[in-house]
Amino acid sequence: MTREAFITLVEREQEALRGFLLALCCGNKSDADDLAQDSLVKAYLSSAGYQEKGRFRSWMFKIAYNTFLNHKASCRTMDTLDEARQLISSQSAESCFEHQSLYLALRTLPPKERSAITLFYLNGYNIKEIATITDTSEDAVKKQLSRGRDKLKARLEL
Amino acid sequence: MNKDKALEELFLAQKPHFDDKADFMAALTRRLDAVEVVRQHQEAVIRRYKMAMVVAFVVGVVSGAITMAFVLSMPSDMPLFTVQVQSGILLWLAENSRVISATILALLMSFGTMSIISNVQDILHLRKNHLKPHVPNYRFH
Repeated sequence: MTREAFITLVEREQEALRGFLLALCCGNKSDADDLAQDSLVKAYLSSAGYQEKGRFRSWMFKIAYNTFLNHKASCRTMDTLDEARQLISSQSAESCFEHQSLYLALRTLPPKERSAITLFYLNGYNIKEIATITDTSEDAVKKQLSRGRDKLKARLEL
Repeated sequence: MNKDKALEELFLAQKPHFDDKADFMAALTRRLDAVEVVRQHQEAVIRRYKMAMVVAFVVGVVSGAITMAFVLSMPSDMPLFTVQVQSGILLWLAENSRVISATILALLMSFGTMSIISNVQDILHLRKNHLKPHVPNYRFH
């Protein structure tokens, strides 16, 4: 894939990718955009191996998902402190962000459940596609969705 | 699995919209430019290194061949070297010095030839796949 073709595809898909990562980062826009940039650089470097089948978005999401998991794994210690701090500050700031409650609820989910829920409800992927993107079995995705949905509903009091 | 209506509506309502798309693309383009510079620099460094290796091996093989030609051109009824010590193994080495030298040189030259082939293949492979990060090969059904 040429650089121009890659940039054209990214221009078309960037909003979906950034939205996905924004949900995974629970509303932290700067983290989400950093991860989006990292994912896109990785995608660009491996674009020679991309099989053109009109599935650029899913391919990009898979790279973004792996980048997100690596990022979470690399800063796990800091993350716990950071999340606690953000949780307190965001609770006290009381809806200064538009979708506070959903992001706060998403924050309570483990990364894999959060990813499955986001891909299913926000990006509209089906279970088979989510299993391909997250490299897990369809049964595992179903369990993640079921657990994630229950936790979210309890948290959001739906 | 069916979608939970309330959750679906909540997610759809929170679908974010970004006003800084142009800034994002500009930042990405800058990063890609930087990646290209680094990639070209690394490719050049590795190519130079590989070429130096190939030259070294070629020189090794050529000098090996010359030495082997010299060894084989020596009179066959005289040993290449003699030892003064009366030891069984050293005497055996002296008696078979021609064969031993030729065998060692042949092994070194074989190793050199294999290394040249391997390096040439690496250089050809490098042009296609250099700097490829570890991203799983992803094919949709």
